[in-house]
Amino acid sequence: MAGGIKRREFLKGTSMGALGAGALSGVGLVSGAGAASKKEIPKGPVRIAAVSFLTGAAAAPFGIPGDNTFKMMADVYNQKGGILGRKIELKSYDEAGGADAQVKLARKLLMEDKVDVILGYISSGDCKAVLPLSDELGGLMVAYDCGSHELLEGEKSPFKYPKHGLGFRSAAHLGIDNIGMALMIKKYVPNVKKIAGINPDYAWGRESWRVFEVAMKKLFPTIEVGVTLWPALGSTDYTAHITTLMNSGADIVHSSLWGGDAVTFTKQALGMGLFQKTRMAYSRGEPYPQEIGAEFPEEQIICCAGTHYFLYPAHDRWPLNKWFVEEYYKRYNKYPTYPCYHAYQAFAVYKAAVEKASALVGGWPTPEEISAAMKGISVETPSGYLHIDQDHNGREDVLVGFSKKVEGYPFPILDPKRMEVFPAHMVNAPAGIRTEDWIQSWKV
Amino acid sequence: MGIVYVLNGLYFSAFLFLTSLGLSIILGVMGILNLAHGSLFALGAFMAAWVIGVCVNAGPTVGMIGGFVAAMLLAAAVGFVLENTIIRPMYRRPLEYQLLITFGALLVIEDLIKLTWGGEAYYASGPFDMMGRVNILGGEYPAYFLFVMGVTAACGLCIWLFMARTKLGIMLRAIAMDRDMAEAMGIPMRKLTILAFMLGASLAGLAGGLMVPTSPALLGIGMEPLIMAFIVVVIGGLGSLKGAVLGSLIVGQTRSFGVGFFPELEMPVLFLIAVLILVARPQGLFGRA
Amino acid sequence: MGIKGGIWVRGVAICAGVVLLVLLRWVLPSYQLILFETGLCFGIMGLGFNLLLRHTGLLSFGHGAYFAVGAYTVAIIGRYLPGLYRMEILLPGAVAASAVVAAIFGFVCVRHTRIFFSILTLALSMLVFALLVKLYYLTGGSDGIRAPIPSILGHSFQGMRRPQFLSGFYYHFLLAAFLVATALMYALIHSPFGKALQSVRDNEVRAEMIGIRVRQFRWMAFVISGMYCGLAGGLWSFVNGHVTPEVAHWVFSGEVVYMTLLGGFKTFAGPVVGAVLFTFLKLYAISGTEYWMLIIGVTLIGLVLLLPSGITGAMASWAARLRSLGTRKI
Repeated sequence: MAGGIKRREFLKGTSMGALGAGALSGVGLVSGAGAASKKEIPKGPVRIAAVSFLTGAAAAPFGIPGDNTFKMMADVYNQKGGILGRKIELKSYDEAGGADAQVKLARKLLMEDKVDVILGYISSGDCKAVLPLSDELGGLMVAYDCGSHELLEGEKSPFKYPKHGLGFRSAAHLGIDNIGMALMIKKYVPNVKKIAGINPDYAWGRESWRVFEVAMKKLFPTIEVGVTLWPALGSTDYTAHITTLMNSGADIVHSSLWGGDAVTFTKQALGMGLFQKTRMAYSRGEPYPQEIGAEFPEEQIICCAGTHYFLYPAHDRWPLNKWFVEEYYKRYNKYPTYPCYHAYQAFAVYKAAVEKASALVGGWPTPEEISAAMKGISVETPSGYLHIDQDHNGREDVLVGFSKKVEGYPFPILDPKRMEVFPAHMVNAPAGIRTEDWIQSWKV
Repeated sequence: MGIVYVLNGLYFSAFLFLTSLGLSIILGVMGILNLAHGSLFALGAFMAAWVIGVCVNAGPTVGMIGGFVAAMLLAAAVGFVLENTIIRPMYRRPLEYQLLITFGALLVIEDLIKLTWGGEAYYASGPFDMMGRVNILGGEYPAYFLFVMGVTAACGLCIWLFMARTKLGIMLRAIAMDRDMAEAMGIPMRKLTILAFMLGASLAGLAGGLMVPTSPALLGIGMEPLIMAFIVVVIGGLGSLKGAVLGSLIVGQTRSFGVGFFPELEMPVLFLIAVLILVARPQGLFGRA
Repeated sequence: MGIKGGIWVRGVAICAGVVLLVLLRWVLPSYQLILFETGLCFGIMGLGFNLLLRHTGLLSFGHGAYFAVGAYTVAIIGRYLPGLYRMEILLPGAVAASAVVAAIFGFVCVRHTRIFFSILTLALSMLVFALLVKLYYLTGGSDGIRAPIPSILGHSFQGMRRPQFLSGFYYHFLLAAFLVATALMYALIHSPFGKALQSVRDNEVRAEMIGIRVRQFRWMAFVISGMYCGLAGGLWSFVNGHVTPEVAHWVFSGEVVYMTLLGGFKTFAGPVVGAVLFTFLKLYAISGTEYWMLIIGVTLIGLVLLLPSGITGAMASWAARLRSLGTRKI
């Protein structure tokens, strides 16, 4: 299986990535190198805009933890002298109000307030609307949490990359969750006959389902696809959906519902007996066993948006995770969840890229120089090494597991015996190949 | 399994009925389309969630009853304030001002909720968990859903008795029929208008409260109930109790079976039904022209 | 001052105003200029909207639908027929598409008046909204579609950043479209057609008696009004760069009513003044405070209660009062 996925395109992609990371042959850097000695580092602070949901359904589970981490890291970095000696001035903004409002806000931040970088965005819809503005306005943007795989992919393979010269996504896209779950099903539930789906009706839900469906069809050529439901974001009544899913005859129901929607759906589904009929596969299920508690059913497939799980990587083997968990707990009296790790990634990638670019060209680098340095960079993060590939997308491993009640925890955790970590090269398409095309090219 | 679709539809209809009745009364009796009606639903949801959370040690039953009563009281109080301050001067003003001022109220209430309760989601699933499940026709069904339907049916019955049997109710119907004539007959308009407004508001608040054990209270939650209630009122007819019942049933069942059989088009179909009814009978099925 | 003098003064004032608007390109910082362009687009829409409200006596609460049709025509051509992504095709396309939709919807709507008309327009626009959200594979659902920079008369602006495009040539293009649309609307409402519309508004029965085909006139006004919205939507899509279904939602239609009332719906310039002011008010409220809805809401309530004739209306009445004070003294 693993050998099937490791194809030549992939090897090519990674080797190019490694080359880029080592040699840094970006045009902007080479041309700027001559002027290196004359450039200076400005005295004023680095102005960073952090945009996350501070109100609404996504605030409590994602926006506020993410924003907390941005604030924490600004503070931690400032104690160590900021970035290249410049103090970090971080300002938080609310992601609420829809894509239109976010386009207007980003325009104001880059054109009128002239911030150095925008770190932000949780919603895939907002990312798709806002990230193209990076090149339009000439400002650097790092998307930190949104999952849309189409965000940085082209219409057809092979596509020209990077899609946006100044736009990045520091985390891996939703491909890892959905491919990881399909691989998990292949390994542990090989007799699956029929799948169905319930996903929120926008980019995130639609694309999550598409990648999952394509991967399942590739791994199980005879699989039958049942009903696919698209409730609106923020729905309060899922009863009709649950009944439909119970009647669908599916063995596994795929879902990328998140936040309050996932909790509402799961509670109503528990009440109506959905879990006696079928098994759920939650592409971002990590927070919900904790949220729902002991009632959360066992044997559900749960994915963690990378390897961000509070029991992984083990603290004795990865001190940075230990530090991160303790520091976050000290400040906010809570354990970090995956948006926290994503926020760390975005901040760390930006800082590392600025420092790397400055080491090469001197002074404070331009957005183009930072972009060239960010391409192909690798940084250490609390959940392992993160690599930004040539297509400006992050590459991460993914952790998938089954919910199981284990003594010592008041809620089901991921069954330690069947926890699988699929390495990045098994769940990420190489740069330049669309995720769906890449899956089609697997040799099963 | 068809019966479960019907049950789901009825459960959805329960919220629609409670929300739309207030909208319908205000539209029928006072001729005002109150765009802030969904905000009363939201206020009820936040209030109930907050009270249930505060009373968590007193047991879910106390919290639940307290939460629902508080939701109704708060919505009624806000309805009282709204009617007295901004809606009363609008009765004789052109339509555009009526719509805009309630739109303004919607925006203000939304931010007042944010100021009071913050931006985070409020969970209060205690009553839902407490009631457990019952067996219906070989399948399981949450008892809380049946409870919601029961409460709604009881409310509907009370309002029907009030409208049909009490003097106040008859006077209200007289206003809805012919405002000028009713005034000439010496019916105390001021008091009755406030009463009707508070009644409608408290029902919307109750609907918000009833929702909160199954789904968290969060900002912007009043938008969907408003638009759904709007469809119900359009179908059922302005100011008609019968219309609110029938409209809720039609919308609830269409949605339930829509999700089951044409999930991609469930929402457009609802608006299409509303448009078709408006075209054929602008006053709705039971409304008076 | 005689009538002739009045026309002269007015002519000079208009010319000066146009020159000022043209020069604005070099006066305002590019960010403000782009905001101003958004305001101009809404202004065109307001003109169309007010044709119905001021001159026909119909309150539409669903004009966002025709704006959305115009904007989506541009975005969908950009997505599926990139070869046709040329301004000279896009704008007529946007206007034509919104004319078709407005003709169909209007045919249904003008059979009713008062609140029934408002409710029906609201329901129809929500139908458009629901379709835009649900037809994900055509419209991109709630994520919407991007609208790239088009080519204009064979000249492509490739390699140009959008603010450069918007604060450069496009500003004058948009201004020209706006001025032409304004002049046409002015001519229209002072034509026999405009007068006939007003007679319908003032007294439907009498208008019918003197031989005006009421429904047909209303319908024509509705279609023209929809075309203005389509034009505005098309022009706006390039300014915004991204089109989402939100513009078909009743809240956006409500904002258009708000803009018109803010400026004053009883004057010709009211909707335009209101649109520009509203655009700046909303953006600075949003970026200034988390509680921007409170600001907009309170402003709205205050406006309805205290300044029902809007800003231009209030200014006109103050001016009239000043003038009468002046004459009394003499």
